Amino acid sequence: MKRIFSLGLTLLVLMSLLIGCTPTAPAETEAPPADAATEVADTEEGSADAPVAEGPQGTLRVALPTEPSSLYIPTTPDKISDIAASQLYDPLVFQDKTGAIVPALAESWETSEDGTVWTFKLRQGVTFHNGDPFTADDVVATWEYGISDSSSWPEKYNIATAVEKVDDFTVTVTTDGPKPLLLVTMHDFWSIIPKKYMDEVGVDGFLANPVGTGPFMFKEWVKGDHITYVANPNYWQAGYPKAAELVFRFIPESATRVAAIQQDEVDIVTRLSAEEAESLKSAAGVNVIQYQVPRIYYIAFDNLSSGIDTPIAEPKVRQAMNYAVDVDGIIKALFAGNGQRAAGYVASSELGYGIVPPFPYDPEKAKTLLAEAGYADGFEIDMACPSGVFAAFQEVCQAIVSNLGDVGITVNLEMMESGAFWDLMVKKQLPPLNGDSWADESGESYNRMAGALGGMDAGYSLWSDPKIDELLDQISSELDRDKRKALYEELQVYMQENPPFIYLYEPVTFEATRDTVTGYSPRPSEMLYLYDTAVAP
Amino acid sequence: MLKYTVRKAGQSLLLALGVLILAFAMVRMTGDPASLMMSRNASAEEREAFREAMGFNRPVLIQFVDWITDVFRGDFGDSLHFREPALPLVIQRLPATLRLAATGLAFAILMGVPLGLIAGFRANSLIDLFGRLIALLGQSIPNFWLGLILILVFGQQLGWFPVFGADKPESVVLPAFVLSLPVMGELLRLTRSAALEVRNEDFVRTAFSKGLHRHTIYIKHVLPNVAISLVSVIGVEFGYMLGGSIYIETVFAWPGMGQLVGQALGWRDFPLVQTIVVFTSLVVLGLNLLTDLIYALVDPRIRHGK
Repeated sequence: MKRIFSLGLTLLVLMSLLIGCTPTAPAETEAPPADAATEVADTEEGSADAPVAEGPQGTLRVALPTEPSSLYIPTTPDKISDIAASQLYDPLVFQDKTGAIVPALAESWETSEDGTVWTFKLRQGVTFHNGDPFTADDVVATWEYGISDSSSWPEKYNIATAVEKVDDFTVTVTTDGPKPLLLVTMHDFWSIIPKKYMDEVGVDGFLANPVGTGPFMFKEWVKGDHITYVANPNYWQAGYPKAAELVFRFIPESATRVAAIQQDEVDIVTRLSAEEAESLKSAAGVNVIQYQVPRIYYIAFDNLSSGIDTPIAEPKVRQAMNYAVDVDGIIKALFAGNGQRAAGYVASSELGYGIVPPFPYDPEKAKTLLAEAGYADGFEIDMACPSGVFAAFQEVCQAIVSNLGDVGITVNLEMMESGAFWDLMVKKQLPPLNGDSWADESGESYNRMAGALGGMDAGYSLWSDPKIDELLDQISSELDRDKRKALYEELQVYMQENPPFIYLYEPVTFEATRDTVTGYSPRPSEMLYLYDTAVAP
Repeated sequence: MLKYTVRKAGQSLLLALGVLILAFAMVRMTGDPASLMMSRNASAEEREAFREAMGFNRPVLIQFVDWITDVFRGDFGDSLHFREPALPLVIQRLPATLRLAATGLAFAILMGVPLGLIAGFRANSLIDLFGRLIALLGQSIPNFWLGLILILVFGQQLGWFPVFGADKPESVVLPAFVLSLPVMGELLRLTRSAALEVRNEDFVRTAFSKGLHRHTIYIKHVLPNVAISLVSVIGVEFGYMLGGSIYIETVFAWPGMGQLVGQALGWRDFPLVQTIVVFTSLVVLGLNLLTDLIYALVDPRIRHGK
């Protein structure tokens, strides 16, 4: 009997080891030097703050919640791909941590009187990872590839009507009117690619082996497992990058990401839940980071189709509904207090925020307003929310139904599969109330406003209001930041009196780093630029 | 045997067609890909151009016929997420999934069969109760939950195993163990009842009366008889493991097909989901057909429908 057991056990171990040793692609890859990192952390306390020796050092391991789709910016549909790809490239201008636009591959620029022609003076002596020198031709090619059929984001390049070479180190960018968001868009999307190489290998070849001028160079992408970059030894910004190697690991399950950082198998993890972040606060060697994300959750009203001739056509009813929803209660109950009540449709990190306070929770005031609007006995209305895409959103929508019920409004809630939901939204076939959320990373709320309030022409809009259109038009062509700020403020006051939404909340995101990591600072947009992030080797 | 083979193969082909129809229909019911693939700020024209380019604007029946025709040519379309042909992407992930499933199956056989044999010969003993408890737990604990618990205990707390990925040989142990448990329970149950059945057969009693050692009887006389019924179950269970690895691969960030299908669903990458569903289904159908044939070869009563 004992022998059978021991035989079985031995066989078991042998089998697992044998199968384990079968060389498959991921198994061949080098294991991260987890032990080495632990040793350093244990023996040299505070070593992360000590002066670092010359040149990039160590391997920075970043856990991503999903696998990127592409490392070529015009074909990156999601934030995760954008994060992974952006380390390889430089734009002409860079948006720094304070939101200011600073020179990158362009050393300087000037705008014509009418604001439609931008002339950029390019940095000289910069080379791509493959050794090609950077010139004006590459800028033109980047734009041409960006507007071509191969691009998923033509509208990010169509913001310019022409990009032309003046000489090897001068280009002009022409727009059909002043475009205040041009530089921000360039920073986010116009990642310069080498024309000669791209023409030679084509987009497919480029996708397989991407080349930029950025701080890191592509080494390998083992599908389903990891992406590895190495430091660019010829990077034009002296002293950067700080890490010698950068590895992105794909870990879909957030509980596994928590275990991975505690085990020192990765250095940075993103997108943790509030509970997971809380559990990591007591973990040795781990720092928890949290910040507000420029995303607004809201219940949209419809005045284009199903909402016409319903009680929500009356502004007082829409105000009443804003007073009726206990957003702070929802944040407390469903997000453990992590989040902030939205003050209108401008996020707290965006231009022009702070002019209007959030609607307070005041069911009595809501009832008064409803009575004034002629709905003292309330009314019945339909609402739809997408399921499975936003954290705890089903519960949020149910809480809103309950809150509105308290002031006499009977809401029939339908949770919809998210694909079907947005499909119907584009076709303008949703009920009069719709739960949704929208993020924007430009530091301004213009894109979000134009998208959600653009009337019939905008895919995801259920609302049209001439006054809002007019103000958005002015914002879209106003180059002066202060004047734009004033316009945003005017718009917010108007949108408080005539709310196109029930404003809900701005979410908080949680991340964690090993304490061997220094210089890590995510943007409100959850974007990472890792050129200045160091890890103790 | 030929008639039997043709009949079974015909059934498999019909099933395969059913799978193709289902795979196509299911992913198309979830809404318009253009709404999800394009940026929210894209204009109506840009969206229409995308539909046109991807062929999503044509009648569904035509899309289906085109798709089926392409599938028979081995062209499953391009993944919307990766913008690469979907089939190679799936095949790339196959070795990792096979490695996981094979290790899991090995665990299941090595744990389930011996335990089942012993339990069968010692019905209602302590070891039998223990075996049945394990089998029950193995089949009823959600593998997603168990995976997280094992990560917590053996990865995070004890540090014995890596918590994710497939970098090291020992990386396979935790996910394969979780994957093996339900199958192990099934094999244990099956072996136990088979052993219960044969232990009263004349040849076993004769063997005992001849004074043969219990282990010899197990291995030489009982196992071959149990093996017949195990063959059919193992074939089916291996197919189950290929499909059942979705959650486990996601929890352990295992770079196989299971994780890919989990992510492809999130990306709403229709061609990729379809490819994985069809590919996995065909592999499972093939395995089942093979099992049926082996079974019939081993036990002629089967093919005569007795």
